[in-house]
Amino acid sequence: MHEIYNLVTGPLAWLAWGIFIVGSIYRLAIMYILAKKKDAPSLAYMSWGFSLRSIINWLIPFNALGWRRNPLMTVATFAFHICLVVAPIFLLAHVALWDQFFGITYPVLDEKVTDIMTMIVVAACLIFAARRIFQKEVRYVSGFQDWLILVIAVLPFATGLLAYYQLGNYQVMIVLHILSGEIMLAAIPFTRLSHMLFSVFTRSYMGSEFGGVRRVKDW
Amino acid sequence: MKKIALVALLALSLLLPAFLAMAQDDLKEIKSEAFGKLQRPAVAFDHNAHNEKAQIEDCLVCHHSGENGVQDKTTGSEGTPCSECHKVKPTDKKATSLMRAYHKQCIACHTEKKKGPLACGECHVRKK
Ligand code: HEC
Ligand code: HEC
Ligand code: HEC
Ligand code: HEC
Repeated sequence: MHEIYNLVTGPLAWLAWGIFIVGSIYRLAIMYILAKKKDAPSLAYMSWGFSLRSIINWLIPFNALGWRRNPLMTVATFAFHICLVVAPIFLLAHVALWDQFFGITYPVLDEKVTDIMTMIVVAACLIFAARRIFQKEVRYVSGFQDWLILVIAVLPFATGLLAYYQLGNYQVMIVLHILSGEIMLAAIPFTRLSHMLFSVFTRSYMGSEFGGVRRVKDW
Repeated sequence: MKKIALVALLALSLLLPAFLAMAQDDLKEIKSEAFGKLQRPAVAFDHNAHNEKAQIEDCLVCHHSGENGVQDKTTGSEGTPCSECHKVKPTDKKATSLMRAYHKQCIACHTEKKKGPLACGECHVRKK
């Protein structure tokens, strides 16, 4: 246990964070260079006003037309993304580790709250999976990459719950939890999870084009 | 009557240190009241059995003293709860918080000795 635990909390943790940070900067830089080379005119049209207008309007649940079409998916999508980002950052156990390894502390959410948020993430993943299986038009466009990121995203949360409740073999579960979290971090720049990095820019692009060129709303 | 009281008092004063020295015999779990409502299950820690199994003879390894932000590793503080000196939310930023004090002391040694629990749930065990 000591060897494995030290490996996943030591070298592998550094590696995962390194890949995440360096990989993200790399992907963003490459995308910028590519955009400048291939699509310079639209870069010139990028506007802060139209970008922010579009981002803000899409951030309000049920505001954009796209959100009104499918209420269940909208609720699931919003709840999923908020919980996915907020729960791990403000989780007591994660801050306890920052404290233990680096002496860093900051306010945390009550474990009852993060517990429910984690369940929401897992439940939302089940809804997404069901949609990919049962909804024909979604099934047709679902590929390996879509399933891959769904599995990568659900694993840290599912194993986190099991470890928290100490169901199953705890030592195996906690190692799986840490490993799957590291896989997710490292996968962000290089899978479809990269929408985490790019969504702000794609939304800005759409907002600027619709606002500045076509002069219509894009929500 | 006075004599009996005196003898009783004497006997008590002789026994008192023995009582104190025995106090750790009964310590089976760490559950500091300073935390208030606990977020995690209390930590099973059979004081004497742990130290016997881990072959720690020197009480100072865990029971140091100190004040004003300076640790004193030469004077013991057996019987003084950690919370006496380590606050849950210390006002001094550099001071070791109570949770950090426990975690650092327990986990650092387990890591060094390559024995003993490291992960949350190995210490904070849920009662089934
Ligand atoms: C591995 C670390 C460790 C070692 C070694 C150790 N103790 Fe302790 N001891 C503790 C902890 C932790 C507590 C609980 C402190 C608290 O509640 O904040 C404690 C509590 C005590 C208490 C108070 C018990 C009570 O019921 O409140 C006494 C007395 C004590 N220790 C004496 C000793 C003596 C004497 C020795 C040396 C023979 C010793 N300890 C060695 C960790 C240790
Ligand atoms: C009589 C006061 C006193 C008691 C009792 C006490 N400590 Fe400390 N301890 C200090 C002081 C002073 C420091 C140094 C300042 C700081 O880090 O807050 C310190 C530092 C520490 C550190 C940090 C050491 C380092 O290398 O950074 C740990 C860990 C620690 N104590 C754990 C404990 C534990 C566990 C207990 C109970 C078993 C305990 N202390 C009981 C006064 C005390
Ligand atoms: C100075 C070193 C040291 C310190 C400090 C220390 N431990 Fe340990 N602990 C050990 C060693 C060594 C073992 C492994 C004993 C064995 O299995 O041979 C161990 C084992 C344990 C075990 C498993 C016991 C078992 O029966 O398998 C628990 C639980 C534990 N420690 C809790 C704690 C807690 C809680 C603290 C802090 C209050 C603590 N330890 C502080 C050295 C230490
Ligand atoms: C080596 C044993 C050990 C390990 C491993 C450990 N702890 Fe602790 N922890 C303690 C002890 C001892 C205390 C003091 C317990 C008490 O007074 O209830 C404590 C206190 C706490 C407290 C404050 C008291 C409370 O329940 O609100 C929290 C929170 C906590 N630990 C969370 C964690 C988390 C999260 C992890 C994993 C990242 C972890 N601990 C790993 C021994 C350990």
